[in-house]
Amino acid sequence: MNRFLLKCFSLTLFFLIWVLLLPPRDASAVIDGISGNTFNLVAKEGHISTPDGGSVLLWGYAIGNGRVQYPGPTMIINEGDTITVTLRNELMQPVSILFPGQEDVQADGGIEGLITREALPTDDPGTPQDESTVTYTFTATHPGTYMYHSATFPELQVEMGLVGAIIVRPAGFNPNAPRAYNHPGTSYDREYLFLLTEMDPRIHETVEKFGVDALQGTDYLSNYFPNYWFINGRCAPDTMAQAFAPWLPTQPYNCLPRMHPGEKLLMRVIGGGRDLHPYHHHGNNSYIIARNGRMLESSPGMGPNLGMSVFTIKTIPGETVDAIFEWTGKDLGWDIYGTGPGFEHDCVDGNNDGFDDNTHEYCADHGKPLPVILPENQVLSFGDFYSGSPYLGKKGVLPPGAGTLNVYGGFFYMWHSHNEREMTNYDIFPGGMMTMLIIEAPGVPIP
Amino acid sequence: MIRINRLFVLGVLLGILLTWVNPCVSEVFVQCPGDLNGDAIPDPYLPGGAPNPEYRANVKCMHLAAGDGYITMADGTPMYIFSFADLTGVPPDQAIEKGMLAATFPAPTIVADEGDEFYLTLTNVGMMVRPDLFDPHTVHWHGFPNAASIFDGVPDASVAINMGSSFTYYYKVVEPGTFMYHCHVEATEHMQMGMLGNLYVRPAQNKLPDGTNLNGFTHHTGYHYVYNDGDGSTYYDVEYPIQIGSFDPEFHIANETVQPLPFAYMKDKYPMLNGRGYPDTINPDPLPPPPANINRGVHSQNITSLIEANHGQKILLRISNLNVTRFYTLGTVGIAMKVVGKDSRLLKGQNGEKLYYDTFSVTLGGGESTDVILDTSQVSPGTYFLYTTNLNYLNNNNEEFGGMMTEIVVK
Repeated sequence: MNRFLLKCFSLTLFFLIWVLLLPPRDASAVIDGISGNTFNLVAKEGHISTPDGGSVLLWGYAIGNGRVQYPGPTMIINEGDTITVTLRNELMQPVSILFPGQEDVQADGGIEGLITREALPTDDPGTPQDESTVTYTFTATHPGTYMYHSATFPELQVEMGLVGAIIVRPAGFNPNAPRAYNHPGTSYDREYLFLLTEMDPRIHETVEKFGVDALQGTDYLSNYFPNYWFINGRCAPDTMAQAFAPWLPTQPYNCLPRMHPGEKLLMRVIGGGRDLHPYHHHGNNSYIIARNGRMLESSPGMGPNLGMSVFTIKTIPGETVDAIFEWTGKDLGWDIYGTGPGFEHDCVDGNNDGFDDNTHEYCADHGKPLPVILPENQVLSFGDFYSGSPYLGKKGVLPPGAGTLNVYGGFFYMWHSHNEREMTNYDIFPGGMMTMLIIEAPGVPIP
Repeated sequence: MIRINRLFVLGVLLGILLTWVNPCVSEVFVQCPGDLNGDAIPDPYLPGGAPNPEYRANVKCMHLAAGDGYITMADGTPMYIFSFADLTGVPPDQAIEKGMLAATFPAPTIVADEGDEFYLTLTNVGMMVRPDLFDPHTVHWHGFPNAASIFDGVPDASVAINMGSSFTYYYKVVEPGTFMYHCHVEATEHMQMGMLGNLYVRPAQNKLPDGTNLNGFTHHTGYHYVYNDGDGSTYYDVEYPIQIGSFDPEFHIANETVQPLPFAYMKDKYPMLNGRGYPDTINPDPLPPPPANINRGVHSQNITSLIEANHGQKILLRISNLNVTRFYTLGTVGIAMKVVGKDSRLLKGQNGEKLYYDTFSVTLGGGESTDVILDTSQVSPGTYFLYTTNLNYLNNNNEEFGGMMTEIVVK
């Protein structure tokens, strides 16, 4: 691989440290977004940045008079609430919002469209005031993970960026003991969003340089050929940079899941584009508890008993998946906290679950040395996320410049599209639909 | 012939370079408890005949070379690849020489038993056709439960072994099922180039004492199951790993000829099962070495996809997908597939409900696996087909009719 590109990649990754130094946030609000019953969205034009140095034309949803963003703002709402979303159109063509998975959505204002009511361009002098705004109203009847996107010319407008996520909290949601659905089998400690999308840069270039009508002379919409792949609106390595990074003004959301051993991490995965993506999460299998906002249960009250364990989440366009991921380091056959001088620690299993009551160490492996000798540093290549030690929460001696992105000696796991062509940014590897999970040692603060 | 001469010259140059760069620490180093001579085979007895105190019956070892090589596509085209070669049984002082240009596709199959301690030594023998590359390599056991990052093979998150040296991975095997493995270094490139292999683990239930009652099903010695199902419902007679893959010839040629790699325009044109397109898939033997001694005569395509069973037997297909560009659907005609496992786990609900289902197609993206059982007692003897229902992938590049297809012969 090109050394220069590798260097660029490493430098960009350096900004990861910003994330790790962020002040703690509300434990239940790991997913960034906007809460409430009433949302004012404005469809606008702008640009997003890609890690290869590209700038891609964006049509997106903005929060009121704020800056346009990709994806649209994540709306975090509560089951049973009546939600009002007002859309104003500052684009140069009609636009709308569709809420797949929400029932009985009422639309007022704008003009009649094919699928729902559409807002006409505000800036068009011919548009009457009341036709440039549409108000959508619905009651969130089911908890779960959903998406929203434009229903106007969707094969172009969703591609251009008019897509976002909706999270519906179950009734009686307790932030201190959160559940994805109304069943204890869906409880979790941390939650993260994975809105997977892609873009075909040819389409954006054509619209920017020659206008929408110029697409008529191409087969780009029918012969789709994406070359940027996104998680929550960013391509790797930007996925791992801090949320609301000032240098990514139109891509506010990041995706850097972190957890301690023994915790439950809720993955909310959305197929927001038009391709399928096999989303592989290193580290362990996850257990799928719901699809499209419906728990996989055999009958009401059973909990997610029809779920399945997977190591790759098949992400389907228009479909959402909720999965619970756990990691304990159980049964590795060696002590992940190290043995011998400098690694002294106890494993106290008071509640007889096999694990230390505080650190969640698997006690049966306590004190067992690493079964192999690791080679000397001279014959190894080191990853920027390697701590220099095979042990959790520890750091070792590394060559100068190596391992700079592992602040707390955590274990890093790549979570990425396993169609690896999607781990590139327009011909440049690595990038694309990829991020890292960090298993942090017990006691390491996680926002 | 020009190409061969070039290879030898480059090989010699690389050899000189390796000796010069690091004469002290670069070495083949096989770690295998109970192995006395470094060939990655545990020795139960010492040379004098006394029992080897280091020997443990559940220790299994393997020695893989990571490097490059050639295969032959089903239309006769030689194809440059990166992949692994099996060095198990090779003395360490011969390992580099034996591993060079010896890559096979798919990579050697890894089979383990639940309860094994598996020591996998990876020796980076370098890429003979690309001496300009100094790429390290890794093994990623895809799907390993509760993996530790040091043995997960992701170079960004751990370490990767450089040319001329060895790294030993340790896996305590506790989870049966169908996994897969591949190199994770520069994943899009190394995986498109072919560093992909079958990997599966057989369950402890296979080793129950003869006559054990499994909820009404009587186990007998020699019976095989896909998982620890508790009731014999995943019993099978014959098993075949089937790995879906596909190559983009432009990418491989660009790599071989030291050109910029076409990531953006990557388009796979050679769909394969176990590294071959139809009709090579039904050749029961290793394919002949690629032509003109291009890889020193190594048999580089050793895994058949010809599925054979006697009438009445149950066939287990361990299907995995390790292509890097798209989803593929595999279908059967005339014989149903009972899906009993997905991503190395028995298909069952939280409370133990069996969620098996019968189907005639399974769809897998890269990095997905599934276990299906074909019950031949339900069909007449004859030949059935397992093929991709993405019908435009039933070809070998420009050669019509071939590609991702094989035969199921019920005798």
